[in-house]
Amino acid sequence: MGQFSCKECVDVLRAFLDGEMTPEEEAHLKAHLGDCPPCVDFVEQYKATPGLCKRALAAKMPEELSHKLKAFLRDKTKPA
Amino acid sequence: MNTAAEGNSTAGMGGAGDAGDELLRRAQEGDTSAFESLVEREQDKVYGLALRMTRSEADAAEIAQDTFFSAYQHLKDFRGQAAFGSWVHRIAANNALMRLRHRRVVEKSEGALVEPGFTDLGILLRPPEQWERPADEQVIDAELGSAIERATDRLPEGYREVFLLKDVEGLSYEQIAEITGDSVPAIKSRLHRARLALREAIDQFYSEK
Repeated sequence: MGQFSCKECVDVLRAFLDGEMTPEEEAHLKAHLGDCPPCVDFVEQYKATPGLCKRALAAKMPEELSHKLKAFLRDKTKPA
Repeated sequence: MNTAAEGNSTAGMGGAGDAGDELLRRAQEGDTSAFESLVEREQDKVYGLALRMTRSEADAAEIAQDTFFSAYQHLKDFRGQAAFGSWVHRIAANNALMRLRHRRVVEKSEGALVEPGFTDLGILLRPPEQWERPADEQVIDAELGSAIERATDRLPEGYREVFLLKDVEGLSYEQIAEITGDSVPAIKSRLHRARLALREAIDQFYSEK
């Protein structure tokens, strides 16, 4: 297999970031990235996506629910 | 699937630290106020995970309640080799998955995964947008946050749960396999496709700005 196409580059990104690629595959990937600025951007964005989503998806329990939870647990955990 | 008492493997989430260890010790000795403090530390994360997995505030509320009650019931069995937070998050993930499995038969159809397009020669059809600054340094504004929430909710269930458990909760592939009953290769494949779909959604957001 020669240098990767953009599609092959995208297909292996998870394995690349998890360190699961062979040295040969990694060399093909890096050769492609050396010639393809859009894929360099793509890789950076793929890497950034989990962190961005994690921050966007952080939720806070509604206060009313927090009070209900506390009351429920107090009721369930009180000594018999 | 794990039971609530199986708290003896480590998950990739932050521990509660020395203060958390002390609270846990007191809670295990029957100090209910210490248990309440532990709950307060974890309730937002447990609720958030349940909300994202089930997409239902009512289900998330019940899952949070069931999770902490289950944790309380098994507190004395908890061996403390994992952080208390990791342990309750895994209980919450199990509870959310069980609820999803039960309602799967009536689940409305979900959106197809959006993936990047390529030419016949495997060249990217559309170069990525410029996200201005490296995305991990960006402040999440409300619009981007909403776009990400919608894109996450649109992921097919099996993809959404893997993404949330791995990239948001920080569980290992093996832990996710244990919870979901799916194979590690299947989980890795779904994670990759979920990330691609979410990257596309963020890229789309910037292309429309």
